Amino acid sequence: MPGYAIEAMNLTKIYMGRVRAVDGVSFKVGRGELFSLLGPNGAGKTTTIKMLSTLLKPTSGDALVEGYSVVRDPGRVRRVIGLVPQDLTADDEMTGWENVYIQARLYGLSGVEARRRTRELLEEFGLLDAAHRRVATYSGGMRRRLEIAMSLVHEPSVLFLDEPTLGLDVQSRRSLWRHIEELKRKGVTILLTTHYMEEAEKLSDRVAIMHRGRIVAVGSPEELKSRIQGDTVYIEPVDPADVQAIVKALQSAGFKASLAGGVVSVPVERAEEVLPAIARAVNGFKVKSMSIAKPTLEEVFIRLTGERLAGGEEAVDTFRFRRMLRSIRR
Amino acid sequence: MGATLVLLRREVLKWVGRRPVLVISIVTPIFWIALFGKSFNIINLLNAAGAGVDPRLAAAIREAMLRAVERVFGTTDYFTYVATGMLAVFALFQSMFGAVGVVFDRRIGYMTRLLAAPIPRFSIFIAKVLGTLFRITVLSAILLAIAYGMGARFKPGLGPLDLAAAWLVIALLSLGLSSIFTGLAFNVYNQEVLFAVANLVNLPLMFSSSALFPREQMPSWLQAIAGVNPISHAADLIRYYLIGKTLEDPTLSLAYLVGLTAALLAIGYTLASRGLREA
Repeated sequence: MPGYAIEAMNLTKIYMGRVRAVDGVSFKVGRGELFSLLGPNGAGKTTTIKMLSTLLKPTSGDALVEGYSVVRDPGRVRRVIGLVPQDLTADDEMTGWENVYIQARLYGLSGVEARRRTRELLEEFGLLDAAHRRVATYSGGMRRRLEIAMSLVHEPSVLFLDEPTLGLDVQSRRSLWRHIEELKRKGVTILLTTHYMEEAEKLSDRVAIMHRGRIVAVGSPEELKSRIQGDTVYIEPVDPADVQAIVKALQSAGFKASLAGGVVSVPVERAEEVLPAIARAVNGFKVKSMSIAKPTLEEVFIRLTGERLAGGEEAVDTFRFRRMLRSIRR
Repeated sequence: MGATLVLLRREVLKWVGRRPVLVISIVTPIFWIALFGKSFNIINLLNAAGAGVDPRLAAAIREAMLRAVERVFGTTDYFTYVATGMLAVFALFQSMFGAVGVVFDRRIGYMTRLLAAPIPRFSIFIAKVLGTLFRITVLSAILLAIAYGMGARFKPGLGPLDLAAAWLVIALLSLGLSSIFTGLAFNVYNQEVLFAVANLVNLPLMFSSSALFPREQMPSWLQAIAGVNPISHAADLIRYYLIGKTLEDPTLSLAYLVGLTAALLAIGYTLASRGLREA
């Protein structure tokens, strides 16, 4: 057996001959590890997961999942993975039970085994009471839990979770995190994509930060945070035209000021101690706000890319989007 | 094989679960056969013929015309003619509607799950086709029973073998048509496209066939079209087996249907695998 559960080698996906959705991505995920791809919408996370789960063919490059190539041996890969796609996939005309049961039969379980496994999974994810209700009546959190249950019928050793908590309220999100942590405890290798840095920080053993189809940094949340030494002070002037002048003023006062997403960012050792000096340097400009940011993955992302995590929106299928909203409102 | 059966089971489960759809799909063809069959009743016209003429001459005229009708329609009852022809038309409409399910599976995301599963891509396609065949089989049986209740006259000594043969014809037609429509649906992301195709194709196919009116009475250009229209062959074969209407060469018609079905299945699956390559 090879040492890694997932090994991406120069994965590249080019759409319509020109859009480089994923651009030479390589990483390795150890057995039982929880690995996150963190990045804004459009960074290429979903495309990466689709290639790893054999739903898309890479334009070039390859990946091994449990030692099987996604390009040459997609059938074998499908047998060992579970996939929870970003879009809801359960059939909402059927009951939760029927959805899980059919999934179990599709993965080759006998009728008896499938019934046992369905009951087990619905119980584990707190859906047994709602088992015989149509999925259309489920809440957003219940639907997400059902999606995960459906992906586990064959006890996959690798689980892909694409934005598992997208659109969920805080409580449902916490509950889903507990389920994910439980799976990790059972030794399932999990690859998760998210644009919530809190999620990546809380759940992951290691995080890969993705930006415009590339991985710009990989490491444990602590490692990544330690790359940005100290805090960041953000200064937002009343008049946006002042930012350049403020950067200059701060630089001549000895600070490493730079522009980040329309505001001035100043990396410092300990913000509390230098705040008076910074205030003196920007004296004379009309400042709207000054804020201190402690090291977070969001800060790491901004330092690495000069952009914020809440980036541009992807095009959405309005039909799906409405369905999603409907399920969330409940 | 296993995956196909599981997916077929889902199709049946969903169909049975949708009571209103089930009821409407049974009621619709009843309206059709009732309206077409009972209102265009040619025999009523015949019975009115010869008014004001010598009664014996009138009887002779009626007799002669009745013979002509029986020769052309294979029955003296137009309702029986339409009811049996409608089985073929019905297979056409159901095949078309069955394909819409593919588009919805994609839209609700279910297709993604199927593509990520270790099942043959062929099973995803053929389960849809067989699901449609199942629906058509059940509905055809109901339609036939109702037609019988409404006074359709089948051939004397109609046996299970005749019914099986008629089912085989319906099955061939359904397999072929639903293959091509289903294959198309795998490449379509919007159900309206399919409805547009249905509108474009269904009525011309129905009216250019012998389902509602015999080929012999059509203008020659329409006869030529009706001659290659699978609905014609299916309708004529069904009548041959159920009401005993003579058919020039049943074996040839059957061979034509088999060949066409095989071709449409191949084309349908080719189309489907194109649409199933990537999610």
